[in-house]
Amino acid sequence: MEFVNPEGLRLDGRRPMEMRQLRAEIGVVSKADGSAVFEMGNTKVIAAVYGPREVQNRSQQSNDEALVRCEYSMANFSTGDRMRKPKGDRRSTEISMVIRQTMEACILTHLMPRSQIDIFVQVLQADGGTRSACINAATLALADAGIPMTDIVTSCSAGFLNGTPLLDLNYVEDSAGGPDVTVGILPKLDKVTLLQMDSKLQMETFETVMQLATEGCKAVASYIREVLLENTKQLESRRGV
Amino acid sequence: MDLTFQLFMYVLAAMVGLSLGEQTFIKGGIDQDLRTDGRKRLTYRPIFVETGIIPQASGSARVKLGATDVIASVKAELGRPNPSYPDKGKVSIHVDCSPTAEPSFEGRGGEELSTELCSALERCLLGGKSGAGAGIDLSSLCIVRGKVCWDLYIDGLVVSSDGNVLDALGAAVKAALSNTAIPKVQVSANAPSDEQPEVDVSDEEFLQFDTSGVPVIVGRHYIADATTEEESQMSSAVSVSINRQGRICGLTKRGGAGLHPTVILDMISAAKHVSEQLMNKLDSEIAAAEACDEMES
Repeated sequence: MEFVNPEGLRLDGRRPMEMRQLRAEIGVVSKADGSAVFEMGNTKVIAAVYGPREVQNRSQQSNDEALVRCEYSMANFSTGDRMRKPKGDRRSTEISMVIRQTMEACILTHLMPRSQIDIFVQVLQADGGTRSACINAATLALADAGIPMTDIVTSCSAGFLNGTPLLDLNYVEDSAGGPDVTVGILPKLDKVTLLQMDSKLQMETFETVMQLATEGCKAVASYIREVLLENTKQLESRRGV
Repeated sequence: MDLTFQLFMYVLAAMVGLSLGEQTFIKGGIDQDLRTDGRKRLTYRPIFVETGIIPQASGSARVKLGATDVIASVKAELGRPNPSYPDKGKVSIHVDCSPTAEPSFEGRGGEELSTELCSALERCLLGGKSGAGAGIDLSSLCIVRGKVCWDLYIDGLVVSSDGNVLDALGAAVKAALSNTAIPKVQVSANAPSDEQPEVDVSDEEFLQFDTSGVPVIVGRHYIADATTEEESQMSSAVSVSINRQGRICGLTKRGGAGLHPTVILDMISAAKHVSEQLMNKLDSEIAAAEACDEMES
């Protein structure tokens, strides 16, 4: 199947190095301490952060740092075929763990000992790149909750099909069987916190694809910063500053 | 000793955490027909409806009732009818409580509430075992008697909960059903189980529908559309599902306190009165949402 046609356009009309349209909104769940919706094309994810709050399970409490927990669940209607089991399956557990580890790396947990931070991510629409969208949404939700972090974490995926590196794969391109590299970075510190890949790639090609994904992450980071700045301005104006 | 202390702490953390002063304030306000957010006892919070938010579903809607936010989606798939009812389609409802609404919903914590909401909705929509009295006319879902019918899967997701989730879900399901477009199916005469669904011609499927009015009792008065704090103070609640003709389609009583039968009848009449306004408001909101949707597409 042809994923990049001779004119250089992909199935949805994008160029190989073009990301899907990003859209983010902060503060959607008023009950949560912090929440955000993040959309990458047709992938729509909502994240809610509850914390820092008292640890529910005393045995897991740590005296030096905060406990970070994460749960990833997909809505029944998020994929094309109706999903039977929204959570508890292996993929959800794995992604929950991945998000937790990624966010734990950037949260300053030692500032909030004996407390717990819960990150809940709910996928409303899945069209490829859900992992990345979840991490981006979680970052925004944590910022909205005012939880101290060393840097924001952004994530993007890239692949390699028809001999071309492609940025931000959608579901069709993802299920084509080609490699899918997901990268999560701390943009200011220029460090990689998440790196996952499936299928196989040659070493040089891998470097190119990873570089492309990192560029994508940086683009997401600048967008996230804009959104946060806009949000702060609104808060300022509401407070009458 | 340690165990009881832990249990006590957990129970406190799980409750809404209202002080005695706040509880008195809420009860006193209701006695004087002035609730904490300024509403009267039987006034609903403003409702916002958005339809067609899930492109890959046959119909979908998102309803915001104050801070309560729910999404409902309807997916229509071809299936075989139940052998005992060969000329009726099938409808199945499922509700999921997302942990974004409440941290206690994570893992299997939300299952109890999901099942409760699910059964309440089923009671209103699906009618008796034979499908009689259902809100949706099941025989209109039949394509080929005994062989092919439409299976409607209605999925609800609670994104944010601030009281009165059942009403919001009912409204969302109603809006989603009115947004549902089921393709016309043409059956080719030769092969026994061959169908060619034509997706270009769409059929709007939405029949007499119900909406639930939930009056709850706090103290000695009834209020409709309670917030989480008000719900925590209530002694019992009655959810009434009423259709456009003013008939009762489903009834659920929640809460352990015993009620005198006249009180229940009173609440039902209060619900009928409230539901008329709610139905009109909802219909206008859905129409507005659909018009908005059509303008965009």
